[in-house]
Amino acid sequence: MPPMTAFNTAAVLRLERATRIFRMGEIDVPALVEADLTIAAGEFLTVVGPSGSGKSTLLNLVGGSDRPTSGRIWHGDCDLSSLSDNDLTEYRRAIVGFIFQFYNLVPTLTALENVQVATELVDNPLDPGEALDVVGLADRAGHFPAQLSGGEQQRAAIARALAKRPQLLLADEPTGALDLPAARKVLATLQRLNRSQQLTVILITHNPAIANVAGRVVRLASGRIVESRVNDNPIAAETVAW
Amino acid sequence: MTVLHRKLIRDLLGSIGMLLSVVIIIAIGTGSFIGMASAQRILEASRAAYYREYRFADFWVDVKKAPISALDRIARLSGVAVLDNRVVFDVILNLEGQVRPLAGRLISTPAGRFDRTLNGIHLVRGSGFSDDRNEEVILSEAFARAHHLRIGDRIELILNRKRESFTIVGTAISPEYVYMVRGPGDLIPDPVHFGVLYVKDSYAREVLDFKDACNQIVGSLAPGARGDMDVLLGRIDRALSSYGVLEITPRQRQASHRFLSDEITGLAVTATIMPAIFLGVAALVLNILMIRMAQRQRTTIGTLKALGYSDRSVMVHFLSFGLVVGIVGGLAGAALGTLLAYVMIEMYAEFFQFPRFVFRAYPDLLLIGMAISVAFAVAGTARGVWEVLKLRPAEAMREKPPERGGAIFLERFPRLWHVMGFRTHIALRTVFRNRTRTLTAVIATALSTAIIFMSMATYDAFLYLVDYQFDKVAHSDVDIGLRDEKSVLALFESRALPGVDYAEPLLGLRCDLRHGRNARRMTIIGLSSRHRLITPLRADGKPVQIPGEGLVLSRKLAELLGVRLGDSLELTPVRGRRETSRVRVASIVETFLGMDCYADVRYLSRIVGESLAVNSVQLAVSAPQVPVLYEAIKELPNAQGLSVRTDAKDIIETTLVETSLFSIGVMVLFAGMIAFGSTVNNALIEIGDRIREISTLRVLGYRPGQIAGILFRESMLTFMAGLALACPLGYGMLHLIAAAYDSELYRMPVVIRPIVVLYTFVLVALFVLLAQWIVLLQIRKLDWLQGMKVKE
Repeated sequence: MPPMTAFNTAAVLRLERATRIFRMGEIDVPALVEADLTIAAGEFLTVVGPSGSGKSTLLNLVGGSDRPTSGRIWHGDCDLSSLSDNDLTEYRRAIVGFIFQFYNLVPTLTALENVQVATELVDNPLDPGEALDVVGLADRAGHFPAQLSGGEQQRAAIARALAKRPQLLLADEPTGALDLPAARKVLATLQRLNRSQQLTVILITHNPAIANVAGRVVRLASGRIVESRVNDNPIAAETVAW
Repeated sequence: MTVLHRKLIRDLLGSIGMLLSVVIIIAIGTGSFIGMASAQRILEASRAAYYREYRFADFWVDVKKAPISALDRIARLSGVAVLDNRVVFDVILNLEGQVRPLAGRLISTPAGRFDRTLNGIHLVRGSGFSDDRNEEVILSEAFARAHHLRIGDRIELILNRKRESFTIVGTAISPEYVYMVRGPGDLIPDPVHFGVLYVKDSYAREVLDFKDACNQIVGSLAPGARGDMDVLLGRIDRALSSYGVLEITPRQRQASHRFLSDEITGLAVTATIMPAIFLGVAALVLNILMIRMAQRQRTTIGTLKALGYSDRSVMVHFLSFGLVVGIVGGLAGAALGTLLAYVMIEMYAEFFQFPRFVFRAYPDLLLIGMAISVAFAVAGTARGVWEVLKLRPAEAMREKPPERGGAIFLERFPRLWHVMGFRTHIALRTVFRNRTRTLTAVIATALSTAIIFMSMATYDAFLYLVDYQFDKVAHSDVDIGLRDEKSVLALFESRALPGVDYAEPLLGLRCDLRHGRNARRMTIIGLSSRHRLITPLRADGKPVQIPGEGLVLSRKLAELLGVRLGDSLELTPVRGRRETSRVRVASIVETFLGMDCYADVRYLSRIVGESLAVNSVQLAVSAPQVPVLYEAIKELPNAQGLSVRTDAKDIIETTLVETSLFSIGVMVLFAGMIAFGSTVNNALIEIGDRIREISTLRVLGYRPGQIAGILFRESMLTFMAGLALACPLGYGMLHLIAAAYDSELYRMPVVIRPIVVLYTFVLVALFVLLAQWIVLLQIRKLDWLQGMKVKE
């Protein structure tokens, strides 16, 4: 296993003709086809596209949760596609913070304990309480997921991702299950983290209204990148509306 | 404690109901293993200690009467370590205030060192014989207890035609009568009607006219001589043949030892089979449950992996789940097993009398039990988690794709299919799509049913045996053994006894039966040609009239001799001229107690060449006359043995009811819990998998009972399949048990009465219904509004 310093902390993520084909019984389903994409450190990127366009596949590939069928994915000068399962685990542990549409909190653990699930994995984590404070949930630390609203659950999930001090925050439809006010809060949190901590954030969404909170918007359709556009004037999360 | 540990504890507490059902099943499996195996070892160790300390003999030789001087030659035979001789007589004894005369076996024993001889006796109460008095007796403890006899009480015996009164100076037990039966033919000790009486050696010989003579020789073998036992016994037989060797009994055929050994062997078999069945079912159920648990945590596993947890740490986390279940199950099993062993020994103590039981904990059994329990639990979990772990985190986080859909084969018959409602459709589809789960439920039901059936059928078989032996074959009310062989005159005397409606002689001829290399010393019972008080029955139930020539053999005896109908064998009487003649097997009959051999009395007389004596008489007595007859028997100088058909029948029936109800109860409970646990488990898994479906039906307005009806239909389908499978399974098991208990002492009839099958089905149905009730409660409790929100 390469030492963690081998993952260049200022590295750029780079996809080279990354292709992922799922085999469903007798047929091959191409989820992502020959994607080329470069992401700079500290960038806030949204990936948009309709359901089934390959957004989640792309996110899972750069997050080390999946491997491309062909092509390469570079994190700095490290080729993720050639890493062993153990090394990929290390990569996810040290570099990546995940946020999911349905939060994926462990239902039998409190908000604070759910953050601890992440902090116990790494050497120099944020204090779990502090992480909850960052997302504005300090007063809900002792609540179980079932006692939190959807927005609160998602913020707890962000705290969990954050607490590992990741370089890369990957959010898969983080507002997909939320109402507008809750969604605004979550997006604002992500914007704030990107700006104040120079955290690279990749957010995927099928909701076009959200796309412009980022500095760059990548559009996917049928597994192919059809547009990559720089957005010079990202809108403030508080003004998002749908 | 890490967060994951906390998660583990909460997950465990959260699914406590389901886990409890698994823990119960595991505990029953390991508990029955630990309990039965411990009980078996305790019995074995207790027996070994008892036999050693009280010098249990290796062989017994019964003779008519042999001078002690004749024994020197035997004592010098190589292989003989210690040789003792004594006088043993069956007697009739009277207790004050008791109408019924009782049967006793008088054994002469050295006055001072009765615990030092072969078959030494262990004094339970009293101080033993005094130096100066002769008319003293030490009674078997069980008999004394049954009659509330105390030290100093007196009993009356008829010895050598004289009434003698004895003072009780002690009560005792002996390794010869751990299981206190008279001999083969008795099934269960009857301490109320049979007791052993130890009388001072010198006095017994004097009173019984056995000065410098004996009628029983007991011996022990030198170390290393055990292999040559047959040769040695053959030599002894020849050396004593002129004194009339009635019986030579090596230890393996001694009745008490045989019953005890059969029990220990039987227990060893049961201790393997039963727990194996229980644990096998537990493993299946656990496997299903753990796979489901892991699958239900699929998203969590995916998330943990996405967060950077390694496969190993996720596996370890989930394995601890199985580990905890295994350990808790194992501990509960150890406790249950220890309790079971204790209860079983308590029960054995009612039948098998030991000075003490060598109680020990067997750490290896506890460890094996624990290891089995943990191994099953962990293996089940590992399989479940592995299914999920082998997925990449991205896949694992996605919900499991819907189960394979498609039509089941019944849908190819649209007419039939459309008759059934949609709830039956759901039930049928679930049952056929979740094949492994269905199969597990079917197997669990089938095994439970088969075990319950087997327990009840075994009980019923013994009731049948009692009815067969004591109603269908034997009809005499009272049998009296006669001390000296008497001419047919004895018969006429007995006919004259008060209350006797009808009497028949039994003429016993002790002889060797030989067929090739197989030989047996048996008493051939000579019956008159028009006998009515014994009707031997063939296997097909038809009564056999004793033929004018040839022998009628019990099936077991025929098997031991290796003869079939029409074969001929050699017959040599042990007394008189001892000439060998060839006789034909005229008929083979079915008996379940001991072994019998019958022949026509005239035929016997002819082949022996002398007219035969009467050994005992069988009497038919009308019930109101019985007390009068009893009083008359007490006055009979010649009577030495007494057996009363209804007593023998009653003791077996009452003892069976008492003990079998306990063991059947345990078996039914254990097996029932398995059926119950498996049903509850399946249903709870089903509810967990289908919260959304159930919630939707609730929203639509279905009542909990109607929804439970779907699960009920599923349970009924597996239940029915289980019952169908249970029939051949139970039948097979019953035959196995019958084969295991097929001994010279008794055989278990294989009979299946519809009522037993009915009881079994009703019992299993009760357990399954109980499980359904739990399911209904769960559905009532279900928060269906929350259930609607569960993501797909």
